[in-house]
This record gives sequence, C-alpha cells and structure tokens, in this order.
Amino acid sequence: MSSPEAPGPGRPVPIRALPDSAYVRMSLVLRLGLGVSLAILIAGLIAYLIQHGTESYSVIVSSNPILSYLNLRGLAAGLAGGHIEAYLTLGLLALVATPILRVLSGFYYFHSGGERVMAAITFAVMILLLLGLLVLGPWVH
Amino acid sequence: MDLVEFALLVVLTGVLGGLVGSLTGLGGAVVVIPVLVVAFGVPFPIAVGAGLITILATSSASGASFVRDHLSDLRIGMFLEIATVPGALVGASLTIFLVQANLSDALLIALGVILLAIVPGVVARRRQELPPPGAADDRARALGLAGEYHDEALGRDVRYEAQRTRPALGVMFGAGLVSGMFGIGAGVFKVFALERYLGLPMKVSTATSNFMIGVTGAAGAGILLAAGYINPVIAAPAALGTAGGAYLGSQILPELRNRTVRLLFLPIVGILAIEVILRGLGLL
Repeated sequence: MSSPEAPGPGRPVPIRALPDSAYVRMSLVLRLGLGVSLAILIAGLIAYLIQHGTESYSVIVSSNPILSYLNLRGLAAGLAGGHIEAYLTLGLLALVATPILRVLSGFYYFHSGGERVMAAITFAVMILLLLGLLVLGPWVH
Repeated sequence: MDLVEFALLVVLTGVLGGLVGSLTGLGGAVVVIPVLVVAFGVPFPIAVGAGLITILATSSASGASFVRDHLSDLRIGMFLEIATVPGALVGASLTIFLVQANLSDALLIALGVILLAIVPGVVARRRQELPPPGAADDRARALGLAGEYHDEALGRDVRYEAQRTRPALGVMFGAGLVSGMFGIGAGVFKVFALERYLGLPMKVSTATSNFMIGVTGAAGAGILLAAGYINPVIAAPAALGTAGGAYLGSQILPELRNRTVRLLFLPIVGILAIEVILRGLGLL
C-alpha cells in the first residue's frame, strides 16, 4: 500500500511547494547578508588602503593581516579597539555566514511544515557548514 | 607597485572575470584565480580563497533574484547540498594538506587541467529547453522532488520531476570537491547533473545551480578563512570587481544572442588554463 509520503510509481509526484514567504525570506537573507558584508568590506578596504596604500603589494601577497583576529577573543578585542583588520575579518565572516543563514531559514520552513526528512537534511548541511568554519578550518591550520 | 595600484588592478581583474564568467556561464573565479597566481604571484591557497569569496558575493546577488522569481527549486537545491557541502569540505581540506606538503605546483597543474576540461563541456553543452519526460525515482517521490514554473518564452506552465537522484548526488559531491579544492563555482558540473540525471528544465537547472553555489562556496570558504588562507585585501577587491563585471555581463547578455559570439570568450579561459599549467611545471 502506498503512503501519502511516497506515491506509487507512474503517478505524478505531488508538488509540495514551500510557502511564498520562504522565497521572500530567503531572498531577503541573501540580499541583506550580501549588502551588510560588502559594506563592511568596502569601508574596511578603503580605510586599510588609506593607512597602508603606499606599502609594496608584495607585503600583502606574502602575509595575511587578519591572522590575529581569527579567534573570538582576538576578533572581539580588535573590534573594540577599532582595528581595521578586525572589521575586514567581520566582513568576511558576514559573507560566509550569509548562505549558512539561508540554510537555517530552509530548516525552519521544512521543520514547521512537518517535513522531517528534509528538515534533517538541511540541519545536517548547517552542522557541516559550521563544522568546517569552527572545527575543521582551525584544525587543518 | 604599491598597494593602491595592486588593489585597483585586482578590481579590474575581477571586472574582466565577472564579464567573461557571466558570458560563458563559468563564473568569474575561473579568470580571477589564474590571473592572481600568474600575474601577481599570489600563493595558490590565497588565490583559491579569493575565488571562493568572489563566488559568495556573486552567487548571493544572482541567487537572491532567482529565488525571488521562484525559478530556483529550493527543495531540490537543499536536498543536493547534502552532497556538495561534504565535497567542498573534503576539497578545501585536501588543498590545505597538499599545500602544506609543498604540492602547490601539482594543484596548479590540476586546476589548469580542470579548466581545460570544462571548456569543451561548455561548447558541447546541450541547450535543450525541456528535457525528455521521465519517471521520478523512489527517493524523489518520498521527498517530493517535483516542481512547476511558468515559462515566459513557451507561454505555459512547465512541470518537472527529479529522476535519477543517486548519480546526481555523486556528481554533486564531485562538484563540491572541485569547488573546495580550486575555488571555482563548478556550476558546469552542477547544471550537468541537474539536467542530465534529474531531468530538470534548463532554466530551473541554471537557477538551482546558482542557488546551491553559495552554500558550496561557503563550505570551502569557511575552512580556508578559519585556516588563515583568505586575505581580505586581495579577496575583497576581487569580489567587488567580479560582482561589477557579472552585472555588466548580465546587462549585455541579452544582446549577445548569437551563441558563437559568446563562445569566443572561452579561449580566454583556455589560455589562462595553459598559463597555470606552465606555472605549475615551472616553465613560466
């Protein structure tokens, strides 16, 4: 006997469309995330170039100015101290976090729609993304 | 050359990359990464990190439009991310291990080969609007991987169902691996899987691939950022330029209806691929 979850072969698969609000919210998350992160990055880049613009480019090719801000304590101290490099790090983090937030909103819609398998899949994707950023990256470094 | 000149040149490289990337459908990183390595001597993993940041910037912009217009299939895209994300995590980690093992040159050669392999795929790419009808597999039925969109050009609603999800997941893992290792969007592989195995219409495949590229890129970028391989003074101007170039490309794209004209841009990618291989072999 076929269940409503798995209609029998040959019959059309029922379309389980997400609500319109899912499309609107995900589009908004992407736009807002991109806008905020690019605004921070542009402002930070201009400020950095005003301070260091006359230095040789070879310095930036061979070193990374944000290395001290890649942990929570360093980042918080850098932001509080007004360090441009800390703000550049924040801009990059916001850019990387934008798709993660999009996955989170997908999880919300599947979970609230009672779709347990799809909710589990999106949750697993979100955990994997956070694992890469918070565990795997620092570990391989 | 001082830092201001360098940043401006990287912005211009990004504009060129965004333009070529949007006209060929390959994404701006296929130009940005080789130029950063060959012309500016940027270390390979830093160039890969910059490539992933350009992907995040451009895919979030275009992805937002596709999602708003209901052209991306959110359900199918999020289902396939379970394969692309692990692929990207493995790929980015692999790149870091290989760089730490002093195998950057081998990675450069591999990148060149991948780029050369992509070009014929774009030339030969099937531009069939609607795929031949096929039956959904059990997994697609259980997860409701089916949808419908209104096709303006055809003047009617088009219904589709995902067909062969298993091979599609395999190709998606590979696409994630390539994206994480080399910093490119690997949209060609994603669209291939969506059209060839899932049997999705061309427009839905393109929009869904774009929707997924950001999350795949975020997986690789997260690792490289945390590991210290994303330099904002290189990545930010590259991303800004690429976003501008992609916008420019999207504006002139409708004017370039002739496919041959668009394909004329592909040799640029081919030349860059050869230069990357020569650099990897120590001949440049």
